Amino acid sequence: MFAIVERPIDVGAVIGAAQRPDCGAIATFVGTTRIDESGDASVEYLEYEAYRPMADRKLEEIGAEISDRWDVGHVSIVHRLGRVNPGEASVAIVVASPRRGPAFEASRYAIERIKEVVPIWKREVWSDGYVWVGSQVGTREPATGRP
Amino acid sequence: MIRVLFFGAAADRAGTRETELEVEDGATIDEVWPLLVGLHPDLTPMRDTLAFAVNGEYARREAVVSAGDEIAVLPPVSGG
Repeated sequence: MFAIVERPIDVGAVIGAAQRPDCGAIATFVGTTRIDESGDASVEYLEYEAYRPMADRKLEEIGAEISDRWDVGHVSIVHRLGRVNPGEASVAIVVASPRRGPAFEASRYAIERIKEVVPIWKREVWSDGYVWVGSQVGTREPATGRP
Repeated sequence: MIRVLFFGAAADRAGTRETELEVEDGATIDEVWPLLVGLHPDLTPMRDTLAFAVNGEYARREAVVSAGDEIAVLPPVSGG
């Protein structure tokens, strides 16, 4: 399953959907919102946006790349958009395979590829302004923005 | 006319998420860029960081665009 959603991700349901009798391993990667701090300021939440349907298609392409490279029985990638509060999941990747090696490797591959090719952007909303991650464009003073 | 979509930091800099442009037949993305910057000068410093898509697929700067195409201006992606 490849999905972009605008509501909280039900990680348990994504894992449950990956359980199969021919697979002995399920690897899960969940990306969550972290509170960064800098001086007196801190991150209050993240906000994601995507170019759809290109982003949906790119998630499916990553799934196809994984199926070409590894012996996997199931791949799910679910990415959330909109406001994501601290500790909440922004992305869940679940890979089932007959043995653990491919499941670990393919789930790592999926998150790295998402960060390379999927047209999704996040904005860190700090207590003193915001910044687009990767572009360093925003309303925070450059001196306090992260490098 | 072509439709141009801006995302993330590019939408911020452009001050809009979408614009329409009249372009000559056979124009490349590189040739469309000065028109975009003419409309939205604050995009100028982002140029080297941007990628482009034509009709939903990554495209090189020498890619040709035609009337009816959708061009997306894509800052460095930061999903995950």
